[in-house]
Amino acid sequence: MKIFVVIPLFNEEKHIVKVLKDVSFYKLPVVVVDDGSIDDSKKMILDCRLKNTTLLEHKINLGKGAAMKTGADYAFSHGADAIIFMDSDGQHQASDLPKFIDALESGKYDIVSGSRNYSYGVPLVRFLGNKFASVVMSAMFHIYISDVLCGFKGLTKNAYEKLRWDSSGYGVETEIVARAGKTKLNICEVPVGTVYHNKVKGVTILDAFGILGDVVRWKFTI
Amino acid sequence: MIIGIQVIALLFAFSMVYFSVLHFKRGELSGIEIVSWLVMWTMAIIVIVFPELLQSFAKTFLVTRVFDLMTIGGFILVISMVSVTYVRIRKLEKKLEDLVRRETLKKAKK
Repeated sequence: MKIFVVIPLFNEEKHIVKVLKDVSFYKLPVVVVDDGSIDDSKKMILDCRLKNTTLLEHKINLGKGAAMKTGADYAFSHGADAIIFMDSDGQHQASDLPKFIDALESGKYDIVSGSRNYSYGVPLVRFLGNKFASVVMSAMFHIYISDVLCGFKGLTKNAYEKLRWDSSGYGVETEIVARAGKTKLNICEVPVGTVYHNKVKGVTILDAFGILGDVVRWKFTI
Repeated sequence: MIIGIQVIALLFAFSMVYFSVLHFKRGELSGIEIVSWLVMWTMAIIVIVFPELLQSFAKTFLVTRVFDLMTIGGFILVISMVSVTYVRIRKLEKKLEDLVRRETLKKAKK
């Protein structure tokens, strides 16, 4: 099975090189989608000269969901059977990749979702927010995922074709779970570690309210 | 006699006429658009100066004061304009996203 790693990137000059070097250990093709970064992220990637790494560039910042979709479209049009999404801020650890690879290669699962453990350093507010999201999604879409908002996910080509999302921003992970609940794809969770380098970036409380509104909309539109 | 609130409303209406003309001169509004906006603001100015013109109209809708009628009308106008703007922005965002993503993938194929 040909598995690509897709990494959406926005202004992560401090972490992207380490992320790519860690991932390169597993010799998987990597697609980095620079979503309109205005720092030196692009230069740092090009300076690394890593093999198997393709850099795609959005001319302007569209959001994480759009970058993930561009990366996925590229990977599947270049022979991928499955993809694994990873964040570019070093929050996800490349050492967890084999868990995703094993689950995808087993052929039993269409979606492999990472699950961050509270004891691994997830801040309490985010942990509680995640649990609330899990309960809401379970009630509305009849699918229980313990960490809905985790961006560390694996998808087969079949799953991507069925799940292709509309969200261009941070709502993408929630939309994937909502669509998975509707399509009845086989899904499993694998425990992943997490390191929070940046407390400013990521989903804010306002984003969360926006996503909650989207969840209600998806209930009737998906 | 014109009261304070009418003066404020008149100043607002005249400043909007000024901005409409300014945007027309900059080429940001078409001929039809500037005429529509000027007609709308002229009607607003007439109603502000002579509110009694709407008295019988207000009574038809069981609204006691013309001021209340104008407030209700204003709310309806603002809500409808916000929803139209929301839909247009969503469409624009979608088009922009499609364009940027298509360009990125096209460039990657080369």
